[in-house]
Amino acid sequence: MDASLISNLALGFGVAFEWVNLLYCLIGVILGTLIGVLPGIGPVATIAMLLPITFTLSPVAALIMLAGIYYGAQYGGSTSAILVNLPGESSSVVTCLDGYQMARQGRAGPALFTAAVGSFFAGCLATLVVAMFAPPLAEVALKFGPAEYFSLMVLGLVAAVVLAHGSLVKAIAMVILGLLLGLIGTDVNSGVLRFAFGVSELADGIGFVTVAMGVFGTAEIVTNLEMKDEREVFTGKVTHLWPTKEDFKRIWKPILRGTVLGSALGILPGGGALLASFGAYTLEKKISKYGHEFGKGAIEGVAAPEAANNAGAQTSFIPLLTLGIPSNAVMALMIGAMMIQGIAPGPQVMNEKPQLFWGMIASMWIGNAMLVILNLPLIGMWIKLLTVPYRILFPSILLFMSIGVFSLSNQPFDVLLMMMMGLLGYVFVKLECEAAPLMLGFILGPLMEENLRRAMLLSRGDPIVFLTKPISGTFLVLSVLLIVILALPSLRKKREEAFQE
Amino acid sequence: MVILDVLTMCRSLRLGYRWTRVLAIIAMLSIQSLFAPPVAAQPSPTWPARPIRLICPYPGGPVELSSRLIAQKLQESFGQPVIVENRPGAGGVIAADAVAKAAPDGYTLLMGAVATHAINPALMPNLPYDALRDFRALALVVQVPNVLVVHPGLPVQSVRELIALAKAQPGRLDFASGSTGSTGHLAGELFKQMTGTYLVHIPYRGAAPAVADLLAGRVQLMFDNQASALPNIQSGKVRALAVTTMQRSDALPELPTLDASGLKGVDLTTWWGVMAPANTPNDIAQRVATSVQTALMVPEVRERLRNLGAQASSIRSPEAFASFVASEKTLYAQLVKRAGATPD
Repeated sequence: MDASLISNLALGFGVAFEWVNLLYCLIGVILGTLIGVLPGIGPVATIAMLLPITFTLSPVAALIMLAGIYYGAQYGGSTSAILVNLPGESSSVVTCLDGYQMARQGRAGPALFTAAVGSFFAGCLATLVVAMFAPPLAEVALKFGPAEYFSLMVLGLVAAVVLAHGSLVKAIAMVILGLLLGLIGTDVNSGVLRFAFGVSELADGIGFVTVAMGVFGTAEIVTNLEMKDEREVFTGKVTHLWPTKEDFKRIWKPILRGTVLGSALGILPGGGALLASFGAYTLEKKISKYGHEFGKGAIEGVAAPEAANNAGAQTSFIPLLTLGIPSNAVMALMIGAMMIQGIAPGPQVMNEKPQLFWGMIASMWIGNAMLVILNLPLIGMWIKLLTVPYRILFPSILLFMSIGVFSLSNQPFDVLLMMMMGLLGYVFVKLECEAAPLMLGFILGPLMEENLRRAMLLSRGDPIVFLTKPISGTFLVLSVLLIVILALPSLRKKREEAFQE
Repeated sequence: MVILDVLTMCRSLRLGYRWTRVLAIIAMLSIQSLFAPPVAAQPSPTWPARPIRLICPYPGGPVELSSRLIAQKLQESFGQPVIVENRPGAGGVIAADAVAKAAPDGYTLLMGAVATHAINPALMPNLPYDALRDFRALALVVQVPNVLVVHPGLPVQSVRELIALAKAQPGRLDFASGSTGSTGHLAGELFKQMTGTYLVHIPYRGAAPAVADLLAGRVQLMFDNQASALPNIQSGKVRALAVTTMQRSDALPELPTLDASGLKGVDLTTWWGVMAPANTPNDIAQRVATSVQTALMVPEVRERLRNLGAQASSIRSPEAFASFVASEKTLYAQLVKRAGATPD
């Protein structure tokens, strides 16, 4: 087993180090970083547009480049989240919370550095996980059916309540509002339109990016404009670019924990990766002794979710490569790219095309290394960006956001929707309601409903399956435990004390 | 109206006279282009004088992949950029409606599909376009058979055994599909009707999670797209029982058809092809149709489309494609009516 792993990896690195493949890996990660930084322009659109070009490449080079775009975008996404509070995709929503606060305190440098190093470390470790355990982990992924997903998401949602900084009631209200927003669109079971009001643009629901850019990005701009010139002040006091020794001491454990959690959740094809960064953040907040700093610029709040989302991005290749099941839209495109090259994705890829399989895995490691080398020197440049006067910066951000949101489905309606979400986000800021629980409810709501109803359909209406299935039952018991802990008076007191700090 | 709005906007933004005028002219021009009457259908030797848009209703999958493949070849033969524009949403209604209402000048084309032109008209009472009247079918690009696959743990080796099992245990078997109203779902409904069995439909959001539950054995059967089912059939993770077309599949020649397994006349495929707005001039329509056919003959294109599961098709002329679309529309209208599958 071990000997074959080494020979497999050797084969993989042999393929990945061929200069053509190195070149396409580099092109992929550079493109990925760029589109990641540009708010809203995501890897899905980019990969789709590049597909015709990949037809002329060898399958290995094509997949290496496309994969590079994908994890490069994860990397770049954290940059705009930290600098201007703009989450380009689901994974960087959590990075906004503390990353942006750090930037406001003049610590954008350490935040970007932490994100880069955390991602790199997580990427390396997760690549190793993919190499060593891909086939057995694929079997684990299959153990997750509708009941298991539902219970996992219940646990995620319950845990998310601790994501909120302030009032518990407000957090729950925001989660529920998110759930409601998530209900918009076509009901999976009956095909009936819900809350679409005859607007065909709403038939598929509202896009995650649209909501996130609105409630985080647009709302932040509105709030900043209200403050007149203060925004320019805080960018002036950038003290240092690199993290201090103290910072290093604080981030290595969160990175490790984030990597483990992210790798585990990334394997699940049904939205597990979405939970990774939220889960890692929640976990850190609970166990870190700096828990009270979370939301006010805690460096752990950047390290853990960044590590988790990058690890999740790598391990989400496991269901793709071993089962032929895409875990998200990017993976679906990768399947298309493989098929058009004449490779049917599935369990046979590993045996029939070892160069492709191991070459791609090895290229992920190389790509991650390239990303760190690329991104660390860029940190200085990004920070300079913050010194651009806000009256110039904000229209540019708005413009890029609008282009990005429009490019999602070439629909002007989405831009309008983003602006409306921005107004809503501004109201939330005024009411001191956190947007993160809203996003979580928005993501998990539809998934939970779908899986709940599917599980009930499969069990012919018998709800007891949620408890009798071991994995599902465990999650539910854990959720109840969490609620009990939250409700216990002694602990609640502590929680409130923590908030007052 | 709009010009007035622009003027007030300029005033409120305190823009200078020059800018106001510039904006007003832009507004006027854009309105003219919006409301200009569709150019009469006269021969246009200059076509194409500007980029052509090929609207794709289903991004991120084989429809977009093949659109880009065809667009590339059209671009080479027209000498003008052919841009694939993704307009996802509402099961393809947004894209199809945009093309139905576009100027019929040959600059806007649609990758129309079984869903936009046969299933949606049957399922959606308030469809904003007419699948036959508003379009001109030009060239069928891809036709993919569906395959009836079962989890290998299910003790059936043939369609007949499956029917027997379903009859012995009514309501015990589940069939998965990528969505309510997909070809996979409707194939299942047709199967139920023709065999008098009762299977429970489990809809998913996309085929991928449906396949995952099929592999895990949580659902027992599925009418899956042949291209995505193939690797799992070959590795034995699922067992194929029959193909849903009248002819046997090129990729799985040993697999019997549903027709030969007792379900007489079943012929269901997932298909898509190039269409234009209804009044597109004949010469342009002919040129597009011929160019698409030429592209489909290029060995490289043929090979790549076959990788996506495409069958060789006998439908080559625009007329054959048009009558195929019409017959598909009738077929699904009947199917949906009998299955009572309208969302209500």
